[in-house]
Amino acid sequence: MSEKTPFFVGYLPVPQGLRRFLLVAVLGVIALFGVVGLVIGSTQDAPEQSGFRFDYGRQTVTGVIEMTPYPILRVTEGNDLIMPGKTLMLAGQGKNGIDARTGPMAGGLATVTGIVLQRGTIDMLQLLPGQRGIKVAEGEAQPIETEALGRWKLAGEICDGKCLNGAMRPGRGLAHKACASLCLLNEVPPVFVSTQPVEGREFMLITGPDGTPLPDMAYDFIGQFVSLEGDLERRGDILVLRMDAATLEVIPQ
Amino acid sequence: MNEAELILFAAKIWCGIGALVAVVFLTFGIDRIDEDADGAYVFRPLLVPGVLLIWPMVLWRWYILADGKDEWSHRYRPKRHNHVWFALLMPVAIVIIIGAAFSVRQTWPGDIAPEPLSAPAEVSE
Amino acid sequence: MSVKYIPVQWNRNKWIYDAVMLIGVILFLYLFLFVSPEILSHENPINPQIHNARAFGACAFIMLTVILCIGPLARIDRRFLPLLYNRRHFGVMTLFVAITHASYILNWYFAFSSSNKFEALLFANTSYGQLAGFPFEVFGVFALFCLALLAVTSHDFWMKFLTPPVWKRLHSLVYFAYVSVVAHVSFGILLDQQNHVFTVIFVGGALSVAGLHAYAAWLEYKAGDDIGSNQGGWVDICDASEFRDGFAKIKILPSGERVAVFNQGGNLSAISNACAHQNGPLGEGRVIDCLVTCPWHGFQYDVTNGRSPAPFTEKIPTYNLRLDGTRVLVDPVANSPGTYVEPVPLPDVVTKEVLV
Repeated sequence: MSEKTPFFVGYLPVPQGLRRFLLVAVLGVIALFGVVGLVIGSTQDAPEQSGFRFDYGRQTVTGVIEMTPYPILRVTEGNDLIMPGKTLMLAGQGKNGIDARTGPMAGGLATVTGIVLQRGTIDMLQLLPGQRGIKVAEGEAQPIETEALGRWKLAGEICDGKCLNGAMRPGRGLAHKACASLCLLNEVPPVFVSTQPVEGREFMLITGPDGTPLPDMAYDFIGQFVSLEGDLERRGDILVLRMDAATLEVIPQ
Repeated sequence: MNEAELILFAAKIWCGIGALVAVVFLTFGIDRIDEDADGAYVFRPLLVPGVLLIWPMVLWRWYILADGKDEWSHRYRPKRHNHVWFALLMPVAIVIIIGAAFSVRQTWPGDIAPEPLSAPAEVSE
Repeated sequence: MSVKYIPVQWNRNKWIYDAVMLIGVILFLYLFLFVSPEILSHENPINPQIHNARAFGACAFIMLTVILCIGPLARIDRRFLPLLYNRRHFGVMTLFVAITHASYILNWYFAFSSSNKFEALLFANTSYGQLAGFPFEVFGVFALFCLALLAVTSHDFWMKFLTPPVWKRLHSLVYFAYVSVVAHVSFGILLDQQNHVFTVIFVGGALSVAGLHAYAAWLEYKAGDDIGSNQGGWVDICDASEFRDGFAKIKILPSGERVAVFNQGGNLSAISNACAHQNGPLGEGRVIDCLVTCPWHGFQYDVTNGRSPAPFTEKIPTYNLRLDGTRVLVDPVANSPGTYVEPVPLPDVVTKEVLV
């Protein structure tokens, strides 16, 4: 160290020989903060098209409740926006499913009210709390056809259907994994995003085999890019993938 | 009680004991072991969070100082060789961690097409 | 330290220091929070909560990176020492920015469920057996805990109460915190982000901290203090002619402690190299107004008895010394702090040489 270096003492005035250096350092630090803040802030990825459709207003439709085991509604009596034949995934407010409310109504007609969450070809309805959100409808539910599409091998990502559909933007990926797990633990319907469309659908409801919920081991794979096999079926205008847990694996880079 | 509840419960107990220690230490103990604190009260609330977190250390030092067991020479023996270890191990750790993250980073496999494995068996109900 | 503790000590330079830091942080947050959305103009904007969490998280990372660069920079070039002077305030501010980041995350990603959000943070993701998809939140929690521990024990009281070596060891947690932050970012947003501008800034920042620390450690290894050689129970420091008025020579004693031998107006005195405040290297300081002044925070001592001038009460150990010809020797056994030792005048030969 040089003995000529000016000696700074905190409670004394800054020595003459250090002033210019410190001024440059101070301006440098301030500039660094400004530039980095602006650059990081303005180079964030654009979230994909999704979101709550508050602009549509509250929607009320009637249809048949099916438990896949995640609840869906096959619309039989729609409105201007939601036509009969449409299938809606159902969820509660926040990170909550509505299995407890829909369970007893499975196979029967119900009238539901809520806000639509839209992502590509798959829609979810966030129901109002209690009776205002879902109630048994009068009438006899007609059996609705489910079309089996055979066994497929797909690549893509396991997400929670609510955040993916725009409850959060961005609402998928590894940084969002814990939130997605929390949603799925609370019975929000999970969605699989396929790398390429199957039967014109890139988003599909994903469940365990034989009407079981998403297997526990699948939670470790949320947000990663995986390949898996499973039986596909068409329910109205959505696909349901019955995954085979044994085939689930991470795609190597 | 699940693990998460247990951890939070333990944290509450820890801070609860810390609060008791803080009350006693900051009202009675501190004046006796540090002459600079005698008659100085405004700064004491600032010490509360510290006591909450490291109360066992506070009790230990309090005991040592109150008992006159404090070894003065320890105060002037900085562990400077420790710093060299930190200065060398931290860069290694940083490089390993960033390297590990890049090694597991995936790109969206958009080129993998869905593959039908078998035809539909039958139409279910 | 003043005679009585007060909550926060400020002086003109500290005000300037804090103002600069505050301007930097406010500029960062203002540009990130309010200007960048205009530039991005996404068709489907990022949720404000996520945008805010990212702003405060990125800001805390940059703050911690700058804080950790100051130490090695000051060792490489002493002109950076003023940036070290008030670093504690910088650290406390970093904690507040980091807490803001954490609360946005907690109140967004871990809220809105039937569970307690703190519990949700702990149980939502438990994939501890893998790298990708690892619950990187725990790294953030650990770093936040370390920053909190550092901030709440930053008052001078703690330094004196715990003793400077223990306090320094506790505050070495900042290195663990930084490594943890690097892991938090690496296994979080770094695995998701598609635009790599952030990746470059993050990796650049982390490698700067890594590189500067490694470089400063190498410099210290190459040109650090020497071990004094033993001369019949006394430790040889150097030849008397090597002293310059107002400066010290530092040597490592057999015990591992360092002694600083000062020349003050032709008289030699030996004191501990470790300042009573934070164990700063007194031997790298200077004599100002007849008092040895620590290069870190300006604590002063009378070199003959190791005592701070009244009203201050700090004391450091002194050492006995003697001349053997023109060699300066120090007794490696320290005198208890504040013991007066008669200064040893430089030999006439040396004084004449210096005067010529």
